Formats: sequence, C-alpha cells, structure tokens
Amino acid sequence: MIEVKDITKSFGRKKVLTGVSFTASKGEITCLIGVNGVGKTTVLNAIMGLTSTNSGEILIDGKKINKESYEKITFIPDTITMLPTMRIHDAFEFMNDFYQSWNEERAKELLTFFRLQGHERISDLSKGNKAKVNLLLGLALDVDYVLMDEPFSGIDIFSREQIADVFTSHLIEDRGVIITTHEIKDIEHLIDKVVLLDNGIILKEFNAEQVREEQGKSIIDVMREVFRT
Amino acid sequence: MRLKLDSRAPVYVQVIRYFKEQIASGALEKGKEIPSRRELANTLKINPNTVQRAYKEMEELGLINTEGNLPSKVTKDDVIIRQVREGLLTEAIDTFVTSVQALQIPLEEVIPLLKESYEKERESGGI
Repeated sequence: MIEVKDITKSFGRKKVLTGVSFTASKGEITCLIGVNGVGKTTVLNAIMGLTSTNSGEILIDGKKINKESYEKITFIPDTITMLPTMRIHDAFEFMNDFYQSWNEERAKELLTFFRLQGHERISDLSKGNKAKVNLLLGLALDVDYVLMDEPFSGIDIFSREQIADVFTSHLIEDRGVIITTHEIKDIEHLIDKVVLLDNGIILKEFNAEQVREEQGKSIIDVMREVFRT
Repeated sequence: MRLKLDSRAPVYVQVIRYFKEQIASGALEKGKEIPSRRELANTLKINPNTVQRAYKEMEELGLINTEGNLPSKVTKDDVIIRQVREGLLTEAIDTFVTSVQALQIPLEEVIPLLKESYEKERESGGI
C-alpha cells in the first residue's frame, strides 16, 4: 500500500499541497482527480521522492521510500521522455540498460496489444501512439505500483479506449495504480477509488462502488457536489 | 454481450442482474461456461475487482458454480433457475402495477391493453 500522510509542500511562498493524505492499495486503481490547477503531479512526484515535501511522510508498504522500495514503483509522466529520433526498439534497449526491472517479454506483448511496430520512429508517431509508447515503457517494468500522470490527456478517443483496455487486461495484474486526470468519462467504471483534490487540498476520498451502492450517486455527481461548493 | 451501465447504480449489482436475465430467458443455458472474470471485465470495460465481486455473489446465490481452476458454469439446478425467473417477473409486475395504480386505471381496462402491447412487441421481435 502507498500511504500519503499529511504532506505539505510550498514553492516559495506558494502553498501547493496542504495536509494531503490518502492511500492507494495494490490490486486497485486509485484516481486522483482535480478540475484545475496544480497539485496532482506534485503528489506523484512526492511519492517518487522527486520533489521534497515540507512536512508529512509517504510510506510504501509501510516503509519510507528507499532504494529497495524505489524499485517497486514507476512513474509514467504525461509526455514521452525518450529522444524523438529513437525507434521504439531503441527505447526498449535504453530501458533495458537503465532498469533492472525491465521485462522485455511484457514490453513485446504490450507492443502487440497496442498494435505498434518496434521499428517505428518516435518522432513519426501520432500523438495517441506516442502516449501508448510512453505508457508501454512504464508498464513493461516489473513493479508493484504504477503512477500515471494524465494518461488520457490530449489524445484521440480510440487511443483512449485502447489505453483503458489495458486496465482490464492481465497486463495490470495485481498492481496498484494511481492515475491523475481531470476527465473521468472513459474510466468511470474502471476505477476503485477516487481522491478529489482542489488547490492542493484533498476534498474527498471515496470508493466508487460504495458511493453508487449506498448513496445512488455517480462519481460525477459527487464531483459536482464537492467542486461546486 | 452488451450492457448499458447506469453510472448511479453499483456495477456489480448490474452485472448480477444481467446474468439473471440471461439465465431466466434461457439465453445462457444451464451448465454453460461463462466468461472468465478478466474476459468479462474487458468486454464490459469494468473493473476486474467488481466482476470478481459479482461472481462471488452469484456463486453464493447458487447461480453459478466453479470447480477448482475451471471456468465458472451456470447452475444446472432447475429450482434456482425457476426462482430467478420468478424473482425477475415479480419485480417487473410490481413496477408495472405501481405505475398503473398511480393512474387509477381499473384492471379490466388494463388487461386487453397489456395483451395488445405484448403481442405488438412480440411481432416486432422485442420478446
């Protein structure tokens, strides 16, 4: 489990996160939703230890992030970080050299899943296919937790659908996933848990099925209540 | 397999209902294999944990049986199948009666209209 406990972060005088707490379990998809502004990406960066926090702590399976737990998580940024001149299989090689947890077989499986070819050059890919390669590189790592920053942002509907298909496939298996998004339409029935974040404050954390069952509300109903007040 | 999801109702309940309807209508024959949890999650674009929950509940209700690692199968128990059918029918009739009674329409007036509508639906292939 990833436990974010009361973290606060300021950039200069600007408070970006205030007392942020939530948990994300293995085998579950946790969705961090914010309609506007900063905070979501900073939370993911803080979990990865890429940004320092002013107070609070983050535990991965009960321990503070260290070299060992770092190997259990991967962070997939919202844009591909590979050089545009690389071909997909060059990116595979790069990942293989760089990460111990790189699983070449799963990478190939994902390539087929997304109907991509290894010889394609990253700069020649459409926006949607670039997003798929970006996701693929992270998902091909043998890790317990995957953090995805806006995986659905700015890409066409068919690419979004294909990416959503990953979540119901064995390629996610029993991993814990945290996704940030501002749009949940494509994944409304795929996510387990919702964390609503606004201006660096957690407004609500809930289980989607539970809210549907106990209150007869959709995720969007709850968002409307929370973000409009 | 198609299922239009209501985003305000628990997904696992909707999945169970779908299976009940399929079993009651005979579209899913008794003893027939049903999709694996992951297959169903993928087809319906829903969370695999939710499917797991629906299957577990159906298992408890005796609607499906799973032996070891084999695929789950629809029950062969006619008593259970009859109960499912009756349950769905009672529910449908209750809804119907409530809305007709609210309009204060006597039963004698409703029955011929019901028959007519039922026949029409059948001819158009709805039933």
